[in-house]
Amino acid sequence: MSKKDIENALDRGVEILEEFLPLQTTLYFPILYSACVWAVRRVFDYRERILSWQVWLDPEAVLTKPDEFILHFFSTDEALRKVYASELACRDVKALRAAFPALYPVRGLEDAFLKALFKKELAAGDYRRIAAEFATRAAKARDDIRPAAANARFWTALENLGAELAALGIHLLSDEDVEKAVVRAVKKKAGRGAQGG
Amino acid sequence: MMTGAGTHGEWRRRWPGLAVTAALILALVLSAACLTHLRNAKAAYSEAQELSRQYRTEQAAAAYKRALAEAALEAAKKPSAQAFMLKGLAEANLGLWPEAETSFVKAAGLGFGEGEAWASDASLLGLAVSFQELGFREPSLRVYESLLGKSSFRPVRLAAAERYADLTLARALALADAERARALADLVRTIERLEAADFACGYYHYLHSQAEGHRGGFRRGYEEAVMARELGLPSEKVLRDNDNQVIFCYDRQAAALGGAERAALEAAHAAWAKKWGWKDARTPGWKTE
Repeated sequence: MSKKDIENALDRGVEILEEFLPLQTTLYFPILYSACVWAVRRVFDYRERILSWQVWLDPEAVLTKPDEFILHFFSTDEALRKVYASELACRDVKALRAAFPALYPVRGLEDAFLKALFKKELAAGDYRRIAAEFATRAAKARDDIRPAAANARFWTALENLGAELAALGIHLLSDEDVEKAVVRAVKKKAGRGAQGG
Repeated sequence: MMTGAGTHGEWRRRWPGLAVTAALILALVLSAACLTHLRNAKAAYSEAQELSRQYRTEQAAAAYKRALAEAALEAAKKPSAQAFMLKGLAEANLGLWPEAETSFVKAAGLGFGEGEAWASDASLLGLAVSFQELGFREPSLRVYESLLGKSSFRPVRLAAAERYADLTLARALALADAERARALADLVRTIERLEAADFACGYYHYLHSQAEGHRGGFRRGYEEAVMARELGLPSEKVLRDNDNQVIFCYDRQAAALGGAERAALEAAHAAWAKKWGWKDARTPGWKTE
């Protein structure tokens, strides 16, 4: 496996995204990162994978969890336990339930796309911001991706990229290295954009 | 030297049946090309069913997609009851209900008897989903319940069970204790009936575990979630949610036990966690931390 080859493939991934989503640069990281996560597992049906997180915006599946499950989720996750310590101390289930539909898909189910979408907040441990902005930002991402999502060529190009990454041995890189490589490719594009404009 | 016309004439005189044979071969090749789509669709559908039986749900979905693409090509080139039936079955297994209904109606129109019942079930399910999306929960709940009782079409039963359980659990959350207990007991009875008819379906055990989690039945909830994991689940996210349910029920159960009983539970759970390749008793393999 050559790290350089993987970086070159990711650069081409950014070019694909520039072609299909020229104005939505904020989506480049989440889309490319989730493509890499699934390429590691040699799964390439990206259309379903990347769009599947929408299912979890459907309130039924998440909102029907019992209070005990929600309390268990917040109290067994070390980071969330600290941030929501006051709500947990007084068993404020109402407040925790309000944050749960945002935090469970991101922290509990570890959805690759959503994790990448809220990368900055996750790195900063700013879970309250994720809870507050989840609905609007997830809806915006869904709207922004829609023009490309309807284009079969976009998914084919992305799936080919995933197959190439898998063939190049992306599974041999650590999660952290994959993330760094994607960030590098996206930032390189941003740098080019700044120089050009 | 013979002229071309002479050659052709002689050729025809010597081999009078050859032109007819060539035409027949050509017709066979062309019809084989047409048959290929139907044959490919059938092969992909059989493969998908086999994969489903082995609980390899991701690969099964990919095979259903191949079956759908081939059946659609066949139906466009040479519409037949069989082509539309296969197309409808693949669509139903992929959750494409309005498309499945249309395909079954066309199959029935072209003479496939069973298509009528399946089209009607797919249509009813589509109607209930529309009701639910418009906020009419009670009518949609009644339709799902009716489909669970009468539909012999497995994809419809699975989809109806999922939505019926979600709606019932949502409603139960808003009820007073006694009423909630009754609603949850009814839901568990319904799921047990589904399990009795199709015990190897992991998804029914997943729903059962969810319902038990609501009524504090953590031991049964744990057992059902373990069974669901062993039997297979329809998607990665349902599997992850089920893993979280295993941990939730395990923790709640362990907290209520002491001494030897607790040690036995811990040992059993450690064995499952090892079998599933978890990092430890509370960290499934897919968790990054």
